[in-house]
Amino acid sequence: MAETQKSSINPALALVAAAAGWFVPGLGHALLGKWGKAMVYFFAVALLAVVGLRMRGNVFSSNAADAFDMLGFFADIGNGIFYFLAGAINPAGANVAIAAGDYGTRLFATAGVLNFLCVLELLQIGFGSREERRTAA
Amino acid sequence: MIVTHFQSMVIFALAVSLAFAYLSKEKMDERVRYAVWAFLAFLVVAIGIGWLTYPFSR
Repeated sequence: MAETQKSSINPALALVAAAAGWFVPGLGHALLGKWGKAMVYFFAVALLAVVGLRMRGNVFSSNAADAFDMLGFFADIGNGIFYFLAGAINPAGANVAIAAGDYGTRLFATAGVLNFLCVLELLQIGFGSREERRTAA
Repeated sequence: MIVTHFQSMVIFALAVSLAFAYLSKEKMDERVRYAVWAFLAFLVVAIGIGWLTYPFSR
């Protein structure tokens, strides 16, 4: 019975949760009552994003110069609110002339991709097969 | 923020192994085992590759 309840999440709610989870990491899982996962995902994404930005990592914008910049933008936009607050978190801006800035760029991109994985898990809960939903939930 | 290269690697390993454990495992004991294993694997592999490539750095 518990398994059935776990798997019966409204797909519309899963979509809303996925959007919320993208904007604020962990919020989508919190909306579905998965507080443990919500806290862990927020902690992991926030840690990587804030440290990456404070190390003066680069944040890619949508007007990319080449394909790699565009790839970087897609990774970075996964950070949701941290992407939009990047200027406030690191007012000094990016400095990739030093190794730490380069590492910061990777940490910030990793945070974004990690958050996309969490969003995919939410979509799997809403739209996946019964077995996939059971595993994700 | 001044973070050494090793510290940034530890932060990376910690966050990624924790998130992967929760993404891929259902039970708490499995998650703990996976997170510890992945965290140590990240560190051991990175330090190992660092030592292996050290002779070519100069």
